[in-house]
Amino acid sequence: MLSYIAIAILGISALAGLYWKRGAYFGIMAGSAYFAWSGFNPLDQMSYFILIACIVWILVSIYSISYDKHYGKWLASSLALMIMGMMAILQSTNYLLLITGWETMSIPAYVIVGMNKKDSGPAFTFMMFSEFSTILIVAGAAYAFFSTGTIDFSLSASYGPLLLISLGALIKMGMTPFMISEWLPIAHGNAPANASAALSATMTLMGVYVIMKMILLSPDVIWIGYLFLAIGSISILFASIYAYISENMKMLAGFSTIENNAAILSAMGLYLVASEPVLRQFIFMTIIIFAMAHSISKTGLFFSIGNSPGEYFGESDHPTSYTQRVGTMLTTMSLSGLFPTLGGLATWMLLEAFFMEAYSGGAPGMSAIVIGSVIALGEGMATGSMMKILAFGNLFRRGLGRKQEPNQAIISGIGMLLIFLFAISIFIVSGLFISGIPGVLVFNGFMITSRFGAADFGLISPDYVLMLITVFSLLAYAVFRKPRLREVPVWNGGSVEVDSYTSYAYSNNIRLMLRRVLRTKAGAFGSAVTVIDVFWLIMNDIGKGYRAVSKFITLRIMNSSISWYMIYMIAAFMVIMIIAVEF
Amino acid sequence: MHYKFGEPAGRYLGPGGGYHVYSGSISEAAPQGYGDIHVHKMAAGEFNFQYGPSTGGLMESVGISLTTPGELINSVGVDPYFKARELKLKGQGIETALLMVERINGFHAASNSLAFLMAVEDALGIETSEEVQKARILQLELERIRSNLEVMKRMCEPAGFGVPTNQLGYLREKVSRIISSASGHRFFFGVNAPGYASIAYSGINEKLNVARQEFERIFYALLESKIFLNRLQNNGVTKDQFLSGPAARASGLRYDSRLDSGLLPYGDTPFFPAVREEKDCFGRFSVRGEEILNSIDIIASLGNLRETDRHVSKAGDGEGCARLESPQGDIFYYVKIRDGKLEDIWHVSPGVLNVRAFQESMKGNIFTDFHFNWESFGIWISEIGVVIR
Repeated sequence: MLSYIAIAILGISALAGLYWKRGAYFGIMAGSAYFAWSGFNPLDQMSYFILIACIVWILVSIYSISYDKHYGKWLASSLALMIMGMMAILQSTNYLLLITGWETMSIPAYVIVGMNKKDSGPAFTFMMFSEFSTILIVAGAAYAFFSTGTIDFSLSASYGPLLLISLGALIKMGMTPFMISEWLPIAHGNAPANASAALSATMTLMGVYVIMKMILLSPDVIWIGYLFLAIGSISILFASIYAYISENMKMLAGFSTIENNAAILSAMGLYLVASEPVLRQFIFMTIIIFAMAHSISKTGLFFSIGNSPGEYFGESDHPTSYTQRVGTMLTTMSLSGLFPTLGGLATWMLLEAFFMEAYSGGAPGMSAIVIGSVIALGEGMATGSMMKILAFGNLFRRGLGRKQEPNQAIISGIGMLLIFLFAISIFIVSGLFISGIPGVLVFNGFMITSRFGAADFGLISPDYVLMLITVFSLLAYAVFRKPRLREVPVWNGGSVEVDSYTSYAYSNNIRLMLRRVLRTKAGAFGSAVTVIDVFWLIMNDIGKGYRAVSKFITLRIMNSSISWYMIYMIAAFMVIMIIAVEF
Repeated sequence: MHYKFGEPAGRYLGPGGGYHVYSGSISEAAPQGYGDIHVHKMAAGEFNFQYGPSTGGLMESVGISLTTPGELINSVGVDPYFKARELKLKGQGIETALLMVERINGFHAASNSLAFLMAVEDALGIETSEEVQKARILQLELERIRSNLEVMKRMCEPAGFGVPTNQLGYLREKVSRIISSASGHRFFFGVNAPGYASIAYSGINEKLNVARQEFERIFYALLESKIFLNRLQNNGVTKDQFLSGPAARASGLRYDSRLDSGLLPYGDTPFFPAVREEKDCFGRFSVRGEEILNSIDIIASLGNLRETDRHVSKAGDGEGCARLESPQGDIFYYVKIRDGKLEDIWHVSPGVLNVRAFQESMKGNIFTDFHFNWESFGIWISEIGVVIR
């Protein structure tokens, strides 16, 4: 009951925001801190989602205090309401509260996307997919109610609720229909940076949380595991490709969110497919670490993009702040799955999980090899897209006129937090996977081992990784000192004309190599090279087709025709009766 | 002058001296379609990548600007005048001018000096003996062998084919030594004069036959290499009609001054134009290989040559021109002589047309195709980027 106080604080913050924006953000900070304190229990793995979300909300609030200056009062209030809805989801003990939280989260998000820009398209896109998501979650909840006889979360003998609610959650994570959909980057990319961070880092986290919760309440259905693996692996590959070729930094970050969520979904699929209990526990830890790494890193990434003068790479320049550049570098390293950041550990754990499952042989082993390879490929592409943001948004193009970076401290702070979490990950990961090899000076308690039985499979010692990097860096510095730099004019083959290499050119190799997948065309629409998101195109075509059929039936057949209307009513009634009797 | 000013007649050779030169006339009118060059408008995402003038991978200084959205080349601009050389030839005597002309491009010294001298002979009405004409064919064909070996060698380099690159380089050196021992200079410097050519035939045929066997082994092995062919086939396809030399013949065009110039007695030799239909780098590579073999046959048919007398009067007035098939296409010289001095002189380089065709053929290709295509046209910037004063 005490934790409902946090929801109340957020409600009050939403009201306060209409008069005092800063007050609303302080309220979000206080409410989130309280929510974490009251809801997090290190022994309850599901409560890690509360901790992750609260860390992000506190960071968003701090960032928003200076970022929000250019926005109206609606932003602070809407953000508080949205977070209140997410708290309700994390707090929910029954389906009714879950649905309430889901809608409370979605509607303010729609307002934020709609109020941010004059273009109403992104907001309507967001709302349409949100409502699809809600319909599936309501259907899943109704199914659960009929199969268990209660609206409370309780163990179900049927896989129906898991399937329906998971599909609903996957829409929110940008993965259905058609495995990957552009709606998420469109919506998240059209919100202010602080809201984009909350949407990408925590709204999608709610999807992960709900699916995980349903997995724990449902019987182990292996085919749903394979379904998750298929959706996850296809999404991870395509999302990383679309991220790599995106020229809008926020859209790129949005695709990166899909890619990260797809990795988590693959882990959840593996959790359902795997039969070995120790391995399942390792996968659960992987999901938590991956969700934590993604949420915090993505928050930092959106903050960094928010500090750029424009959303497109062509408008960005090199920030003057050294600390911001370091922060962005660490954030992008984490999202690339590189050490010594939490993202590196998460990616290592994910791939280890798939390698271990490969040893089980048969169909699960084969699928683990194939999907593990696809994930590795996607991670490689993700590294490319993150380096694009780092290089073209933060390292090159100096001197385009950026005057100040108001939130440089928080961006660098997030970078440091990712290293800190990597260092203390031995305390986050379950004790079952913590050991050491004193013989080589890796003391007990400092090593994370992956295992799917009694014997160790792989190992990593985050603190030793950090220590080695630090020691060798200091050693190099002690020996060579700070390198002496000499700046010279750019040599351009003897020509005085100097044109800059573009972010577009950086990713054009993929546009050309994957021309069949991306439908690459040269010279169309006044652009040098154009590509098509086939999934989005098919979805648009289906939408337009449905609209045309509806219009035809409404205007040409049913218009003023009582007989056709009666036929329609009878047919609809019969279909509902059949569904009700059958299920 | 055997060439006439007037309406366009015959195939186009290129612009020069403010005129447009055709195989049958010199005209003020450009051929239809020659000016229809698509001007590329920069599209979103594109940038200009400056390649050269001073960079690795290019043998000569040339300013190349590639418009690209990354990897893909959408437009190419070649500026052969980036490092333009000015030659002060007007007002010079024939011998002094000859020294400079044969140094325009050392690799094609025979072609340049012979085209210039034959224009002088046309202006002054100097008749040349059959021996001299055969000696000139010998020079041109030896130069063709060496020039084509050099181009083929440079086409192997971007493929990372170190062995054939060096083998072809070795053969090129071998041919240079044959030239040196026959004429006294590796680049035919000082070999020619009006109505005169100093070159010894003795032993050339035997040495070339050895080189031929070595060349055939390399050439046919390269034609069997799928890796190499993949880099050449469908690369730099040109549909342009304004082409010259091997680039034209690789596009199915029977353009060859040896066929239609009539200045040298190629009809008495086993010469045949190597024509292919591919229109791409592979076609241009193949044509060069076949021309090397044909040139060896032509040289073998010349028989023994005797050194000719050098006493020819160079005084007088007149206007003349000459057209020859240099290793990379038609080369044309115009001279106007007054009192033994050059009152006017201009030339047309084969590279002028081929640069234009190269630019068009590069569109839609990618960066890694660039060097194969550039080298396949056998363009010599030193011949184009020269301004005669």
